[in-house]
Amino acid sequence: MSETQYGRGDESPSSPFLNDQRLKIIGIAASGLFTLAVVGFLGVILYTQVNPDRFVNIIHPQFIDAFFVVLRIVAISSVLSVTGGMLVGLGRISETLPTRGIAKGYIEFFRGTPLLFQLIVIYSGIPAFWPPGQFPIANFSVPAAIIGLTLNHSAYIGEAIRGGVEAVPDGQMEAARSLGMSYAQAMREVVLPQAWRNALAAIGNDQVILVKDTSLLSVLAVPEIISTVQNINSATFDIWTPILWAAILYLAITIPLGKFVRYLEARADPTGGPR
Amino acid sequence: MSTRPLVEYESVDKYFGETHVLKEVDLAVEEQEVVVVVGPSGSGKSTLLRCANRLEEIQGGEIRIAGDLISGPDANVNRLRQQVGMVFQSFNLFPHMTATENVAVGPRKVKGVPESEATKRADDLLGRVGLGDQTASYPAELSGGQQQRVAIARALAMDPKVMLFDEVTSALDPELVGEVLGVMKDLATEGMTMLTVTHEMGFAREVGDRIVLMSDGEVVEQGAPESFFESPETERGERFLERLL
Ligand SMILES: Nc1ncnc2c1ncn2[C@@H]1O[C@H](COP(=O)(O)OP(=O)(O)OP(=O)(O)O)[C@@H](O)[C@H]1O
Ligand SMILES: [Mg+2]
Repeated sequence: MSETQYGRGDESPSSPFLNDQRLKIIGIAASGLFTLAVVGFLGVILYTQVNPDRFVNIIHPQFIDAFFVVLRIVAISSVLSVTGGMLVGLGRISETLPTRGIAKGYIEFFRGTPLLFQLIVIYSGIPAFWPPGQFPIANFSVPAAIIGLTLNHSAYIGEAIRGGVEAVPDGQMEAARSLGMSYAQAMREVVLPQAWRNALAAIGNDQVILVKDTSLLSVLAVPEIISTVQNINSATFDIWTPILWAAILYLAITIPLGKFVRYLEARADPTGGPR
Repeated sequence: MSTRPLVEYESVDKYFGETHVLKEVDLAVEEQEVVVVVGPSGSGKSTLLRCANRLEEIQGGEIRIAGDLISGPDANVNRLRQQVGMVFQSFNLFPHMTATENVAVGPRKVKGVPESEATKRADDLLGRVGLGDQTASYPAELSGGQQQRVAIARALAMDPKVMLFDEVTSALDPELVGEVLGVMKDLATEGMTMLTVTHEMGFAREVGDRIVLMSDGEVVEQGAPESFFESPETERGERFLERLL
């Protein structure tokens, strides 16, 4: 009843209708021009710079191999960093001061120093504890990469989970404890499922960054996508053909990953989001 | 044989930092009794209730639930809390669970009741509070009054000996208050022991067995509803009633 009373007659006297229309047209024109420019640029590159035969020839084995190296490293680091991030996040909100302190220090260090630095510390620093040539792991590149990515991204995911837990209202814990649940039960049944949902977007973003961070692994001599681009470039003096492949392969991982995260978010919200 | 009161506050002191929020409070709630706590904002009513299931720690005195000390360092808090049902002003339903799951989760996780049995019991309880057709709804899909009735069913599912209600209708639109008060009245009629904070004086008068007036952390007056509302014994009681008019 009151809704109809207040809802009507709300077109304000100085209606911005005309301006809106004009802005819309300018917007459409601008985005059209931009699209045209991008398509034109890509067309010129494809036509003048990309060698079609080579484009086909370098798929196998170079880029296929690089793609699966990246995929394998991402898959393993992803699982490990979400698990590790869970521990870091729980440590960060722990009620015991030392645990909280350690988690905080961990996060400060791994977010405060560059990933490239961390990768070099692990790749070169750890074998340095052994006499020259005595380090037992023959090919340390991939393990070092996984360790580095996991430690680094656990810090970011830990922060995301801490934020997710803190966004759960205190009343949730109180209601759960009032039923007689222990702290651990209340966390498991009530707080963490909601915290996970709150943190999902941030965790998903972080996992997309993890994919892109594999580009740094060329420094550890991991045969990934960027080093493949460089190898082909130095052998053929052709840069745009391998670059095109690199773009396609990165997007082939990040776009479905983004979709998957949005699917998880939708599934985690039982009411199907705001109605 | 004289049975012990279900809830006993004995000379309870509660501080928040320097602030003395409960001052040597003595209060007993007998079995099947409906005690209604009234008083001005900030007088310590919520704190009084929250101490009874140890959501707040007390600094002096003792609180017993059915004779068992809940305030001591050795108290089995998780067990005693099962005997004290709590309903909050802001519902605090679990948003990721359906109405049925909200009600069943306590018995399942705390008492180890099998899922099928807990679910059936939950749906029965939801029927009792008039929500038999909303069992599969999530809290976000329910009105405030419906959410609060789910919250009451959730507390009842643990078979508590006493129920605490802290201004459970204050967050509701006026037209939804009645349905919640109705459920509470039914509970009282069925013999549930209740310790209730409310601003609904009509309810206090009709359903309450005893009114407790708090002011500045003290119980300043208590008595039967008729005598309290007609002729309060203390000056603070008079002033409180005057402000209601
Ligand atoms: N967590 C807290 N930390 C510090 N002070 C608090 C806290 N909770 C309550 N207080 C203080 O304790 C006093 C009593 O608060 P309480 O919430 O028990 O009052 P109340 O009678 O329930 O008031 P209302 O009618 O507004 O709900 C108030 O002065 C309040 O500011
Ligand atoms: Mg209050």
